[in-house]
Order: sequence, then structure tokens, then C-alpha cells
Amino acid sequence: MPPVVSAYLILLLPLLSAAVISLFLRKQGTLASWISVGAAGALAVLSLHLVFSGARNFPATLEWLRFGSFAVSLDLKFDDLAALMLFVVSIVGFFIHLFSLGYMRDDAAKARYFAGLSIFMFSMLGIVLAGNLFMIFVFWELVGFSSYLLIGHWHERPSAADAAKKAFIVNRVGDFGFLLGIIWCYWIFGTTNLDALARAVGPGGVVVSAGLPLLLFCGAVGKSAQMPLHVWLPDAMEGPTPVSALIHAATMVAAGVYMLCRVNMLMVPEALSVIACVGTITAFYAALCAVVQRDIKRVLAYSTLSQLGYMITAFGLGSLAQQHDGHNVVLATGVGAAMFHLTTHGFFKALLFLGAGSAIIACHHEQDIFKLGGLRQKMPVTFWTFTAGVAAIIGLPGLAGFFSKDAILYLAWEKNLGIFTMLALTAVLTAFYMVRMWKLVFFGEPRGEAAAHARESGLFMTLPLVVLAALSIVGGYTGVFDRLAGELASWVPKAEGSAHLIILLISLAVMLTGAVSAWLFYLPAATDSLETRLPLAFSGLMTLKESFDSIYDYFVAKVQQRFAMLLNFFEQIFLAGLIVRGLAGVTGLVGLGLRALHVGNLHAYVYWFLLGVVLLWGFATGIF
Amino acid sequence: MTFPNALILQLAIATPLAAALVIALGLPKRFSVKLAAVAFVVPAVMALWLWSQFPAGAGARYAFTSQTSTGLDAFGISLHLGLNGIALPMFVLAGVVGAAAGLYALRSGAERLKIYLMLLLIMQGGLMGVFASIDLFFFYFFHELALIPTFIMVGTWGGRDRNYAAMKMTIYLTAGAMLSLLGLIALYVKSGADSFDLLVLRDQIAAEGLRSTWGKYIFGALMFGFGTLVSLWPLHTWAPLGYGAAPSSAAMLHAGVLKKFGLYGLIQIALPLLPDGAAHWVWVLALLAGLGNVLVIGFITIAQRDLKQMIGYSSVMHMGYCFLGIATLSLAGAGGVILLMFAHGLSVALLFMLATSVHHRTHTFELSEMGGLAQKAPVLAAFFVAGTLASIGLPGFANFWGELTIFVALWNFSPWLSAVAVGGIIISAVYGLRAAAQVFFGPPSEQVQNATAKLPFPDLEWNERLPALILLAVLFFIGFWPRALSGPVDGTLREIYPAVETRAPACSCAYR
Repeated sequence: MPPVVSAYLILLLPLLSAAVISLFLRKQGTLASWISVGAAGALAVLSLHLVFSGARNFPATLEWLRFGSFAVSLDLKFDDLAALMLFVVSIVGFFIHLFSLGYMRDDAAKARYFAGLSIFMFSMLGIVLAGNLFMIFVFWELVGFSSYLLIGHWHERPSAADAAKKAFIVNRVGDFGFLLGIIWCYWIFGTTNLDALARAVGPGGVVVSAGLPLLLFCGAVGKSAQMPLHVWLPDAMEGPTPVSALIHAATMVAAGVYMLCRVNMLMVPEALSVIACVGTITAFYAALCAVVQRDIKRVLAYSTLSQLGYMITAFGLGSLAQQHDGHNVVLATGVGAAMFHLTTHGFFKALLFLGAGSAIIACHHEQDIFKLGGLRQKMPVTFWTFTAGVAAIIGLPGLAGFFSKDAILYLAWEKNLGIFTMLALTAVLTAFYMVRMWKLVFFGEPRGEAAAHARESGLFMTLPLVVLAALSIVGGYTGVFDRLAGELASWVPKAEGSAHLIILLISLAVMLTGAVSAWLFYLPAATDSLETRLPLAFSGLMTLKESFDSIYDYFVAKVQQRFAMLLNFFEQIFLAGLIVRGLAGVTGLVGLGLRALHVGNLHAYVYWFLLGVVLLWGFATGIF
Repeated sequence: MTFPNALILQLAIATPLAAALVIALGLPKRFSVKLAAVAFVVPAVMALWLWSQFPAGAGARYAFTSQTSTGLDAFGISLHLGLNGIALPMFVLAGVVGAAAGLYALRSGAERLKIYLMLLLIMQGGLMGVFASIDLFFFYFFHELALIPTFIMVGTWGGRDRNYAAMKMTIYLTAGAMLSLLGLIALYVKSGADSFDLLVLRDQIAAEGLRSTWGKYIFGALMFGFGTLVSLWPLHTWAPLGYGAAPSSAAMLHAGVLKKFGLYGLIQIALPLLPDGAAHWVWVLALLAGLGNVLVIGFITIAQRDLKQMIGYSSVMHMGYCFLGIATLSLAGAGGVILLMFAHGLSVALLFMLATSVHHRTHTFELSEMGGLAQKAPVLAAFFVAGTLASIGLPGFANFWGELTIFVALWNFSPWLSAVAVGGIIISAVYGLRAAAQVFFGPPSEQVQNATAKLPFPDLEWNERLPALILLAVLFFIGFWPRALSGPVDGTLREIYPAVETRAPACSCAYR
């Protein structure tokens, strides 16, 4: 099959699945689920074939709309970056589909759920394959819509409906800047085709101000949930757990980082500094918030925020001059490190969410980690795979997360020591809250009725866990990552000599500090030890976490709503009241006449109307 | 080859009018309903057929033309019909929305159903005629033919405040129509063409030009006249009130199609004939639309507590985008407006219709009394959410392409105004999703529980589902394949808009 056909097929399969389900299979949940999983499986096979066939940069374009010189087309751009992303999205996506078969087995609206998963895959794959910015924006919005659909899956819960609405609106705030950036870009370059842009800004080409890349970055701030638009992501936990895995690991939030890497050529140093700062602050802030969460999914949500902060920081740190094949060359290390971490994070975060999902369903939807406990013996597969995920995220040497996190730390070490310190502190916190959660969920005695009777989940749920655990372990080795990433792998910064040793020692020390202190701190574990022992720190962190939501709530309730009410008031008073009555006065004669015709008898109206028509026609044809 | 298609065009206008006449002559009720059903659907099928037959590369030429003398040749008036790339989308829109509104009306349970259907048929016949008329006299005549039944329907079958609403609508729309008629007559007189035929006028003005001082006043009259008909801020207050009171099929046809008459007039007639006059007014138009329609009305929409009022205001807001597109005096701007008019017509008709369906089930339009209807009526919820997402400009629906094109064109006119317009996507997401959530999500409210308990089948029935499906299918089709519409539009605009574009204010987009 020619690569163009496979690429279009990969894009269309999930759309087809969603269309078939929503049109014909609304009430056949089981059949719908198999169609959706089948589509995900088929596209995963096609993707693997496409990624490993080595076909790259084949031309594919299809005009969508044209007005004069303004045209939008359905271009595909399939380079090494897209290939890597396609692998992550399709493989992780497929296993999440598979896991959903088990997790959503008894859901009342199963067909809607699986149609939603398919439309989510469609939207995300569109971003991955898009060859111009307008097309990215189209699918970008569709990803927002898919998340609305899936986060709000249990719409009868007010919290889920609110979370879905919040996700969509907050994303639209980011899209506001993103779209303006795209339009500006179009008017500067006359095109938004990524290849054409790369040529236009090449040596001696157009130089843009920092405004353009920063507007584009707004899109990533919304979708990748960076400060200050991060507020939707923790609430998005209201969706079913596999959806959280999909949003957090392979698709939605990764889209922001991927998009930045796509428009890397438009970046300028000032913009990159801002991006790095936003990323660092988000990473640190989210790690602080994660420490005080009681809900297993919210801990993971904040850890996602924090890890995304890492990726954004890595991107913002930018390029680095490095020894490469004996020459000194400037490499796009920011892109390399960010995509490396995106990949490994995709594996281990999907694993952690699905593992959490497996524990949650075994404990009848108990999500409070202080009411779980002792699941180690009861759920061995979940335990061991989850352990692999925890080890990967805290950066245990030898696992995927260790390599990618070290690449980012090294880049920060070379470029900016302040950022390096913040990231290292974040790593301490990461180890602390992850080990805290791991220990509370799997060790000790069960602290709740549900946890005491937990049983291991079925094959549909454990198989994805095992595969993702394997990927989380080996995903960082050059033998695996380099095959996936192609040229991109050479952009991953690699520490040499003494720097290598320093980074290794620091990251080891950091990880051990966090992990060991969490283990010791939560030994008794009946209640939140932090709350009892350090109440001041605890309440401080809680306030920190809630401050953003309260600011936004205040804005919506007090500013936006009141402004709207005020304008409405003026509308009613001035326009409806004064002006119209005034006009009515002026045209009082007309009004009186009309009122005389308003005799309340329908036939009268019709006769008046017909008479008018006849008169008009008579006059027009010259009878009168 | 061309003759049958020209005949089909005439029949598309004549069928609903003839059916109305037959019903008026005393056809029994059950036959009337069947005849009306056929007469509502036939123009839609014909319009879709003509769409498929529209010649590629027609350029500025009209297709399916026919010219019939009406005995008024001395005034330069004749029934000259045909479609160009600008008229085609509106003609199709009139057919499709007419079919949906008509089918919905068949089982609306309105009292004196025969007269209701008859008025709707007259309205649809008028609408098909408006967009097929090349002669400006008939263009105006068909508009009035469609407008008058609206007043009668609002006043007779309307809901709360129907008399006040009908009165206000009549005063505003008659005044707006008068003003635009004045503009058209001035155009007729000042061009010296002695003809109401658009093509003759165009040739005459191209050859001899118009005295530019007059162009300025004529465009002003047309802008405010047509603007009132389309609810340009601050002349918009008739719209939410009128639509709030109007029976649903009348609201669907008026908000969906008839209201676009003004915008269509500006794009098809005023801009190409009076580009110099237009250049005087663009900033007035852009500021009224950008700050008034988009920002102020956007916030007012957020404050609405009544579902139908909310939809009415949101429609006023989206008309702001259309005016902004026109103010850019650019090909892309005009093209975006045509796309958005088409898309908005379908989506607002869908929303007005479904709002009535919601009312049938809950007996209220108050948002605060609703909630959780999705559990009782999942299909209704799915359609309503789809309609909402379409109207707030989600890709995959036709509306997105219209808005996007206008935003792009607007940047070249003024980046700041473009930012205001793009900010509208946040505002519309806020009110749209809030309304959808309040009606459908969460636990069922007391009102919903009480009202739906008595219904045997609370979800959408086929007579509601079919019109909704028709509207949604077209929205999706253009959402996924916008070229089907942008192709003909672009072909025509390319030939008549270069002259307009040269009058656009100097480009301010050059900063990097």
C-alpha cells in the first residue's frame, strides 16, 4: 500500500468507526466497543508499518477551501517527529481501547463512550499528521471537543458536566491566542504550510518578533495545561479512568508539546525564555499540589502537570552546541529532549493511570488512597506493573523515565542553573508523592471495606498493563528509542564526562531523598501524616492548590457575570425602553393604523394580506 | 440543456406559492397537510439538484437564467431569474431550511393549522424567489412576500408578549425595508440605467460610474436599511424579542433565511456597485459590529436566563461576524460571510426548533428550571449539543469555516478588531455550553421530572428527528467538505470583487 494511502486510512478509520457507532449502533454497546477497538487495532498495525517502513515526507495535499488567495488544505507532513508521535499515539491509544473493554464493560452508555474514544483518536491523529497550522487548529479544536465528550461521559453527575465544560472553555482561552498567532503567521508568510514556513525563516529569511511564537505558545498553554490555564486538568479526572489515561498520556496534553516542536523554526530566544519559565513554574507548582492530594487520580493528574512542565521547560531551553560525529554542531536539543520525555512519559503515565483504574474498579470506585491499602497480594499484576511505572516516573536508573529526565536535567545544567535547581527540587517532590501513593495503595493493611475484598482484574485490563510496563522499562534505551525517533534521537542531549557523573549523582540523590522520606513519613498511614504532623505546611499547600480555582471562580461570578448583567440591564432599559418607545412615538401614526388592523380575527389578517398582495401586483403590472 | 434547469428554478419558487393558493381555495385539511409536505420538500430537492448542476467556472455569469415580461418593461422591471455563486448557497439554504421548518410545522399541533401552513408556504416561496431574483424590484418584492407572513404568524401563533413583539418587529423591519428600498430606488435613478436589472445596473455603473457623493449616501441608506433587517447593533432589539415570541417554524425561516436578505443585499448588490461609497462606511460598520454585536451582545447573551432569548441573542452576535466580514471589503471576507450565513441559517434553525422540542417536554424556557433532560431524552440532547457546538464554531460543522475565513480577512483590516472577533469564540463557548449543561446535564430537575413523567415517549419523535437530521447533515457535509460551497462562491467573487478590494483601507498587517 502506498504510504499516502496508509496515512489517510489511519486518519479515516477512527472517524469511520465513530460515524458508524453514532449512526447505527447507539444501543448495541458491545458491538460498538468491538468496532472501536478493531479500528484502533487496525490503525495501530498500519501505523507500525508506516513508521518502520521508513517512508517519510511523501507529498500529500488536498484543497479544502479557497477564497482568492486564502486557501486551507488537508496537507499531511510525515517526518521523523510525526512518526515518533504516531507510534506513541496509536500504540498507547490501542491499549487504552483494549483496557476500556474491561473497565467499561457494564456502563450504560458504552456505545457513546467508544464512539468518543474513536473521535478522540481521529482528532489526535489529525494533529500528528497535519502539514499546516490551519489544519492543526482544526484538529486541535476537535481534541477539545472529544475531551468535552469523554470527561462529561457521566453527565448526570454535576461535577462531571462542570469539568467537561471547564475543559472546553479553558482550552478555548488558549485557542484564542493560538488562532490569532496562526492568522498573524499567515499574513506574514502568506502560508502556514510547515515546510514553506521552514524555508521562509531559513538563513537570510524573515525574522519574526517574539509576539508570534508566544501567541502560538498560548495554544500549548491551554492544551498542555500550563500555568495559568492548568485548572481544567485536575478536574478532568471526572471522566472514566481510561479517558484520563488517554488525555494525560498519549494525546491531548502531549499535543501542546508536539505542536511547539512542530513550529520550532518560528521560535526566537525571548519567546523561548518565557516558555522555559512557564514550564518550570508549572512543574514545581504542580508537584507541590500533588503532595496533599488524597484522590489517586488527582495525584496522577498533578504529576502529569508537573511532567508536562518538564517537557515545556526542555523545549524552552532550546538548542545546544554539541559534539556530534567529531564536529561542533548546534542541535535542536530542546525538541529532542521534550519529545524523548513525551514518549517515555506517554508509556509510564498511561501505565500508571490504567493501573490506578485497575485498582479503582477492583475496589468499587474507591479513589481515596487513605481508604485503599494492602493491594499488593490481592492484585499482583497490577502491583508489579504499577511499581514499574512508579520507578520510571521517579527516575530509577535503568528505566525509561531516568534517561529522558536526565536528558532534560543535563540540558538545564548547561543552560540555566536556576531552572536546573527548580527541576531537581521538583524531582524530589515527584519521588515523594509517587512513593507516598504507591505505599498507601499497595502496602500495609486494607483500610476500607472495598480494598479488603479486591480481586485482580481480567485479561483485557492486565494485558495492556504488562505491555505498557515493558515499554516503560525499555523505552529509554537507545536501541529502542533511536529506532523509533530516527533523526530526532540525535537531538537528545547526552551528557559527557564529568557532567554526566554529576547529573547522575544529583538525580540519584534527589530520587532517594524523596522516596525514602515518603516511605518513612507514611509508615503508620492511617491518616494523612502530613496533615497531622505538619498542619501548617499542609494547609499552605492546600491553599496554594485552591488559589487558582478561587481566582477564576471569583472572576466568573463577580466580574464576567456582573458585567454581563450590567450590559443586559442597559440593553433592556435604554434600548428596549427608551429608544423603541421613542421610535414608536415618532411613528405613532403607523402604530395607530396597525393597531386598528389588529382586530384579533385571523381571517382579517389574511384578507388584509391578500388584499395587499393583489394591490401590489395590480399596481406593479399597471392595472391601476 | 439549460432550459429544463431554468424551469426547475422557476418551479422551485412557484411550487410552494401554488400549494398555498390551492390550500387557500379550500382544500380539506388532511389533503392540505399532505400537499404542504410535498410543497415544502420539492423546493429543497430542486435546490440541491441545481447545486449539483451548477457549472464549474461559471464566474460572474448567472446560471439557470430566464426572463419573463410582467408588463412593466417601461420601468425596466422584468422577472429575471437565475443563480450566480453568491446566490446559489442562499437558494439552497432557503430550500433546506424551508423543508425542515415545514416538516416540523406539519405536526406542530398549531391551531388553525391550514392557515399556518399556508402562510409558511408563502414565506418559503418568497424566500426561494428573493435569492433567485436578478431584478432588484422582484428581489424586494419577494422579500416583502416572505416578511408579511412572519408578522402575522408572530402576532397570531406567538408565545408570550406576542402582540408587542409583532408590533416591534413590524415597525423595525418595515422601517429597515423602507430605507433599503429608498437606497435601491436611488441606485436606479442615479445610475441612469433606467432598469432594476442588476446586470444592466452593473454594466451601466462600470461604464459610466456613479457620482461618488451619491454613492456614499446610497450605501449609507442600504447599510442601515439592510443592517436593521439583519439586527446591526443598536438596531437589533426586535430580534431576540421577536424570535422569543415567534412560533418555531416562523423563527426558523426568519432567523435562518429571511434575515440573511440584508447581508445578501450588501454582498451581491451594494459592495460591487458602490465600492467607493462603501469605503466611507467601513469603519462605522466594523465598530458597530465588532464592539456592539460581538462584544456587547456576546456578554448580554451570557446573561440570558431564557433559552429562546439566549438563542436569539446569540444569533444577533453571529450577525456581527458577518458585518465584520463585509467591512473588510475583501474577497475572503465576503466569501466567509456567505459561508457563515449558510451555516448560521442551518444551525440557528436547528436550535430554535429543538428549543421548542425542549419546551414541549419541560413546559418552560427558563434555564434555571431545567436540568438532566439528557437522561430522559438522549437523542434530543445529542442533537441540541451538536447544534450548539456548530453555532459556537467547532470544526466539523460549516460555521467554523465561515468564522475562520472572516477572522483571517479581518486581520488584514485591523488586527485589533480581529482579536476582538476571535475573543468571541470564548464568549460563545461560555454561553453555549452553559445553556446545554443547564438544560441537559446533571440530575433531572423537579420541573423536568414532573413534565416528562406524563409523556409516554419523551425522546425526539420522527417528525422532529427528520428535520433535525436534514439540517445537521448539511452542516456536517460543508463542515467536512467546504469546497462544495466555497468553489462556486469563489468563482463568482473572483470576477466581481477585485474592484471592491482596491477600495479596502491600507493594509496594517505588515508588522512581524
